Amino acid sequence: MHSGRAVATAAALMTATALLAGCSSSGSTTGSAASSGPVKLDFWGWAPGYDQSVALWNKSHPDIQITFDKTASGSKGGYTKMLTAVQAGNAPCLAQVGYETLPSFAAAGALQDVTDATASAKSQFADWTWNQVTIGGKTYGAPVDTAPMALMYRKDLFAKYGITTPPATWDQYAADAAKVHAADPSVYLGDFGNDAYNYAGLAWQAGAPWFGTANQQWQVSINSAGNAKVASYWQGLLDKKLLKTDPSYDPSLYADMASGKILSDVNAVWDAPIIASSVKGTSGQWAVAPMPVWDASNPVYGNDGGSATAVLKGCAHAKEAAEFALWMSTDPDSVANLIKVTGIYPAATSGLSNPALSAPDPFYGGQKIYDVFNAEMPHINTSWQWGPTMTQTSTDLGDGLGQAGTGGATLPSVLGTVQSKTVAQMKQQGLTVTG
Amino acid sequence: MTTATSRQATASTRAPAGRTQSRRTPAHLRRARTAALFLAPFLLLFVAMYAAPICYTVYQSLFRMHRDGLGLSAPTQVFAGLSNYGTALADPAFRGSLLRVLLIGIVQVPVMLGLALGLALLLDARTTLFKRFFRLAFFLPYALPGVIGAIMWSYLVAPGLSPITAAAHHLGLHLDLTSNAMLAPTIGNMLTWGWTGYNMLIIYSALQAIPAELSEAATMDGCSAWGIAWRIKIPLVRPALVLTTVFSIIGTAQLYNEPAILHNVAPNLSSTYTPIYAAYDAVDANNFNAAATESVILALLAFVLSFGFLKLVQRRGAAL
Repeated sequence: MHSGRAVATAAALMTATALLAGCSSSGSTTGSAASSGPVKLDFWGWAPGYDQSVALWNKSHPDIQITFDKTASGSKGGYTKMLTAVQAGNAPCLAQVGYETLPSFAAAGALQDVTDATASAKSQFADWTWNQVTIGGKTYGAPVDTAPMALMYRKDLFAKYGITTPPATWDQYAADAAKVHAADPSVYLGDFGNDAYNYAGLAWQAGAPWFGTANQQWQVSINSAGNAKVASYWQGLLDKKLLKTDPSYDPSLYADMASGKILSDVNAVWDAPIIASSVKGTSGQWAVAPMPVWDASNPVYGNDGGSATAVLKGCAHAKEAAEFALWMSTDPDSVANLIKVTGIYPAATSGLSNPALSAPDPFYGGQKIYDVFNAEMPHINTSWQWGPTMTQTSTDLGDGLGQAGTGGATLPSVLGTVQSKTVAQMKQQGLTVTG
Repeated sequence: MTTATSRQATASTRAPAGRTQSRRTPAHLRRARTAALFLAPFLLLFVAMYAAPICYTVYQSLFRMHRDGLGLSAPTQVFAGLSNYGTALADPAFRGSLLRVLLIGIVQVPVMLGLALGLALLLDARTTLFKRFFRLAFFLPYALPGVIGAIMWSYLVAPGLSPITAAAHHLGLHLDLTSNAMLAPTIGNMLTWGWTGYNMLIIYSALQAIPAELSEAATMDGCSAWGIAWRIKIPLVRPALVLTTVFSIIGTAQLYNEPAILHNVAPNLSSTYTPIYAAYDAVDANNFNAAATESVILALLAFVLSFGFLKLVQRRGAAL
């Protein structure tokens, strides 16, 4: 009986120890590694192809071994997981973070300053992409890609409905949308999804910024006149029911694309491989054209995405982490892999001469699709700035876009709501804000 | 420490039998120690997994993050008193979410429990055929993980995919099960489908515990099957009904799975649709303090509602 008690006590203690240990030990990789043996770093992200680049690195760098863990995509819970891990002190050293979310991460204190470790590499990247990873004078990682937008469309079905050249302007786009829908009421030229960042790309193109800073103050202009112009254009198409309103990146969207009910999508370069893998059965019948523009005599294009390999707070090997981040964005083999699998448009200037950019894409009928994006690049506004509460803003806008798609609200009123919610949120956090 | 005290205990047990006074106390103590030891594993888990998180949540709800200027560097945590509660309750989106679960609960819980009671009475009736088959069939939706059930239903109601909408269309009806007005009924339907069988089983087992003589005696006295159900069975399974109601109130307050899954096919469903959804949304926005505050408010609401209901039925029970 005596020893029985001891055993019970020991068991209880062990349970408690195990419980406590379970809470604190999982982040060992970011802690100090043993002085001998390779440095081990964790890398969280979701883009396809990142794992292959990590494998390439691990093969050539036995001293720094990276483990890539696939998370849910950022807006679907990936960012929440990263922020929570930073909060809990067991975050990975490296994370895939979109430019749009980096300021929010900085505002959450979730990023590690790697300015010194990366300074010498600045000249290897397009200036504006370097600015996206440099916030308040501190660099937090390496830019990977930019995301010029284009029109991906069904060549065969465009011909069937009498569209000889893909719409080059938004006016033509509206006319073609009407034409297609009149020919067959079950068919739509495009889809108006609920992805806030896709919509941001449309505002970006129109030169209608959402955020700015002046005199150490934030300015929010989500409901500016420029933004109202974009909103009323799309609201006009929605009012006439000329667009399908499947949720963005939803199986229903791809089902409609596969069955020829949706003929095109205005989306970023990285969406090209996503469409290709989502509607395999229509391979060879797609093509890529420049994004429709507002003014044909002065074409300006939009950008939807682009991400960085960021170094997260608490990383014990920030120097090694930064070294990997820079390598992944610049090494020719890694960049070739990211172009082919991930569908990136490289942020590194050396990446622009990567042979993978001139490879014909069989899904798009053998077209060299990067030619389109190359031609667009000089005409993309590079002064766009993201705000520090983008998670909140994008959720609110996504909700509003969903409402607009189902007729529950109009886009201009949605922008008004998102504007006031964003300002309120920023004020609540103690930020200085006008607008 | 254990060794020392138990040695003491053993020593006092060996004391001469005449000195009852000094014998009783150690025996009593020893029993308490044994009880404490058996309770220890539970208490440990209870404190680590239940009490500690609750305390931490309440603690977190009393602070907020403060930033200055552009706020592009790490924020500082400052004491906020109860101001987070004021902010949460002043937020129309959060207030709306509380109201929404209340409304869903007021309509859905009685419907579901009425159905569960009806099915349980049918299963319990003497003349019912294939009892085991039906019992299993009614219970089956609960055996399916909630998320899977929600995914299945989301495809059954999704615009463009829904066979229900298609069937209604053939009958000349325009039915959109994910329109703003239909979201709550659709979610109520998902809940009813998933949980009726579970509640039915609880009520059914209470019915099984009623002695058969009662029904026999009533039958001999000329009571109809309806009468037996109404006058004997239902009053006797009252405790089970109270229990399932309390469970259902708590379950509805914590509504999350169904709307979260439905959001994939119904983008018009807002990401602050229910209180837990709203709290998760706050976590997404890295506002852990707001999430903690909203969680505490929700917990209080569930507590007040379920205990309020218990008090209500107890008072009425006493009056009867």
